[in-house]
Amino acid sequence: MSMYILSSHEIKQLAEELRASHDVYGPQVDPQTQQVFFDQLGDVDALNLEAPIPSMPVKEILFPQMEQVLKYKYDAETQNVEMAKPYVEKPKVLFGLRPCDLSGIQVLDRFFLGQEFVDDVYLTHRRQCLLISNTCLNPFPQCFCVCTHSGPDADEGYDLDLTKLQDGYLVKVGSEKGQALADAHDWKPAQAHHLSEQKAVVDRCIDLFPEMATDNKAWVARVMNRITTGFVKSETWEYIGDQCFECGACSFVCPTCSCFNVEDARMCDGECERLRTHDSCSFEGYARMAGDHNPRQPVEDRRNKRFFCKLSYPQSKKYLRPGCVGCGRCQWVCPGDIGLPNVVQYIRREITE
Amino acid sequence: MKLMNYKACVCNLCGTGCGQFLKTDGKKVFGVAPLIAHPVSKGKLCIRGWHSNELLSTNDRITQPMIRENGQLREASYDEAIALVVERMKQFDGAAGEIGILASARSSNEDGFTLGRLAHQVFGTRIQGIGAEAGHRKSMAALEHAFGYPGAHGSLTSIDKADYILVIGTDITRQNPIIGGNIHAAQRRGARVVTLSSSHTQIAKLSTRHFRQKPGTKGLLVNALAKALLAIRTANRERRADVDQMPGYPEYVASLRSISSVALERASGIRYEDIEEEAKFLEQARSIVFLFSSGISGLDRPTIDAITNLALLTDRMDHEDSAVIPVAGISNLQGSFDMGVSGEPGNSVFKALAEPDSPIRALFVVDHDDGIIRDKERISRLDFVAYACAYKNAFMDLAQVVFPLPAYNETDGTYTAADRRVQITHKNVDNPHGVLPGWALFQQIAGKMGQSWGYQDAAGVFADIAATVPGYADLSHAQLSKGFGQHWNPKAFPNSRQRKFNAINIEYWESPTTPEFPFALMIGKAQHYWHQNNLMRKTIVPRREYDQTLWLYPQGYIEISPEDAAHLKVRDKWLVNVCSSTGTCMKIAVKISPDVQNGTAYIPYFIKNMISDFLIPYENAYAAGEESVIPIKIQEA
Repeated sequence: MSMYILSSHEIKQLAEELRASHDVYGPQVDPQTQQVFFDQLGDVDALNLEAPIPSMPVKEILFPQMEQVLKYKYDAETQNVEMAKPYVEKPKVLFGLRPCDLSGIQVLDRFFLGQEFVDDVYLTHRRQCLLISNTCLNPFPQCFCVCTHSGPDADEGYDLDLTKLQDGYLVKVGSEKGQALADAHDWKPAQAHHLSEQKAVVDRCIDLFPEMATDNKAWVARVMNRITTGFVKSETWEYIGDQCFECGACSFVCPTCSCFNVEDARMCDGECERLRTHDSCSFEGYARMAGDHNPRQPVEDRRNKRFFCKLSYPQSKKYLRPGCVGCGRCQWVCPGDIGLPNVVQYIRREITE
Repeated sequence: MKLMNYKACVCNLCGTGCGQFLKTDGKKVFGVAPLIAHPVSKGKLCIRGWHSNELLSTNDRITQPMIRENGQLREASYDEAIALVVERMKQFDGAAGEIGILASARSSNEDGFTLGRLAHQVFGTRIQGIGAEAGHRKSMAALEHAFGYPGAHGSLTSIDKADYILVIGTDITRQNPIIGGNIHAAQRRGARVVTLSSSHTQIAKLSTRHFRQKPGTKGLLVNALAKALLAIRTANRERRADVDQMPGYPEYVASLRSISSVALERASGIRYEDIEEEAKFLEQARSIVFLFSSGISGLDRPTIDAITNLALLTDRMDHEDSAVIPVAGISNLQGSFDMGVSGEPGNSVFKALAEPDSPIRALFVVDHDDGIIRDKERISRLDFVAYACAYKNAFMDLAQVVFPLPAYNETDGTYTAADRRVQITHKNVDNPHGVLPGWALFQQIAGKMGQSWGYQDAAGVFADIAATVPGYADLSHAQLSKGFGQHWNPKAFPNSRQRKFNAINIEYWESPTTPEFPFALMIGKAQHYWHQNNLMRKTIVPRREYDQTLWLYPQGYIEISPEDAAHLKVRDKWLVNVCSSTGTCMKIAVKISPDVQNGTAYIPYFIKNMISDFLIPYENAYAAGEESVIPIKIQEA
């Protein structure tokens, strides 16, 4: 694995250069609201690698909230169907991914591409994607990636990985694609001391995590055990269920939630579009089966399904890591108080009582 | 540097006024993100807000003006459709009550204001009303009497700081979920949250204390709380006492003193000792927030009077974190009132339509998202109906002329939330059909009828609003674009410093149930059935959630308690005959819910035929909203 050291200017240059051949996405701050979005860059100057964790997960780019996945027109007289594929492949760079979002992409890859069926829509968005991750120098409010093995630095899955050091950005190469990019440039190789400096940066960041997160580290594993073996008391799930407002927000902002709904809608001129939209296990209609049976009708049963998905061994085997990446976004958006770290707390409280 | 694809705006569904980002390329809306810096919603949205993108990209839009010809609507140009409206409207005498206006609680202030001008100055009519205004008028009247201006006292952000929060009646986590979430957060930080509600709603579960009173006795309970507070005050003479100088105080106190604890307990099922205990907490609180729902499912006037009186009696209403807020179900219900398009007593369009001998002959309607069109028969017999809306709707069938309108993100507009917070949404998507905004459409109609208004844009309309609407003087589009809105200023009302008690009557509500009709039926509501669903039915996921209920209970349902179900020997989804004391009957499925009290029953008010057929004899009950109770019997089908 080769390593280089680049100045901030060279980083911007790289982004600018990539823009010629790619759609470049990166963190940027909305000037009016100060909210951070990981979105397409109209101008490289908007790229802000020091911005806090983006408010929406990067999955929006690969698996958007709503997307047209098919267009068709059926002529009843001639019984002729015309179909068209509305999604297109575009080379993309995801520049400055936080390690949690990178882990999220890995989980989505394993769900959409790594199983029996390969999802063509996701594959199309994902195929020509250059992933450039960015080490977190300090945790943001609600972050707990130290508990879920997904930060503050990335250890796999990237093409290039950036860490801001005193001399500039340490650039680690993580793939052949990344190496090819490095080879095409005359970047300055990094020294051994840069690597130890990076380690120190990461250690310092870990120290800065709030006690709740570091304290929870072992507890996440313990709670996974409890959830997998079904030892969580029903009262605890009911306590959690009572706080669920059934808004679906936790699923929409989760970097690893991959459930979707498909709906055909008529457009004008007899044309139809097939839409794919995000879906959430917190909704009652989500689990309904034919014949009106609903195995998860009470809200607490729907809620615990979410935490089974994020924190049980069988799920983790599927994703090759826990389903939770510790970004803490579910905690921000929940009108109740049942973001994942809190659920861990509630179960932990039950264990220690 | 502005973001390419995310545009901040205000959610246009309920009266909370949450901040949201729309993900859009300027042509279509692909997604939604919550707005973290928003002072009320703080980065949270409910199921409806999260699916705004589905509503905004529905194909179920009105895209062109239309004219009815030989019974069918056909596409027409603006010129043709406007000319027809002008020609027909000239045939009616507005001053004689022949023209009615049915305004929308979802329209922007700009559209509401210009619609008012069109009605008053061009059509010459005062016969008007807002789609979902029913209960809001009572809230406004009670608040105006108490605080001197028709609007909320205080801000929704008070919930985040107040010591004590009293939630009266409303199923707020369903109706205004983000306010419900803020209350839940307040409870967690240590505020005392008390709910008065006959059913075990989610907010009741999340409250510090839930008083589960018998139906119809919320007002009595609020008055009893006032009585207990007054008793503490009398014992504790150190209180400063401007309160007793306020007009209406002696009568109010006399009424309170007449409350009998025995009669209270018999009527409400709540012991006065429990109320006394609660009053101690109320007495201790420095800042207090009162919340009740307003609008179509709001409270009756005596209950709202009891609430405003208790608020004044606490003597905490000058604290910056105190508030009395009628929580509106629709985005701009408050703003539409402010713009002067509500139906004042004596010239209500609803009354004109309901009275068979009223002179009304023509109707101009905007939006009307309710699934139920009341007085549909009468409307279908009018000489002329014009309808304007962004979405296709059952009202189109009744209209001779139909106009499209832009969706809320396709034009600039301001909206006034339940707590008087005026916020702006800027256009972030081009309407693909070049549809005129409401104010521009009304201006063109006015122009063709000989009146020139001269508005260039929505900001220009707003400048006129600021000049004429009390409280809006300090506001402008430029000012509102800077932050997250601003509350309109109550000081513009001459009586805003004067506080008065409303007159109350202590009545011990007698349940209308009888041995023959033993169940008290109430009209309930649920999350996905928001405003009878014309909008939610145009989404994908919320519609599925709605259909989920309909699939399970295709004939609709009546919620009863498990004990009553056992007694009636019925199980969930079994059909029963429900008969009311006036003789109307319906066949409906049972839904067993532990959250319902024994002897009470709920039907959701969104299922069309249930409401219109079963409740027609109960016109008043429907208008009384949450407090309406109908005696029924339930029998095996």
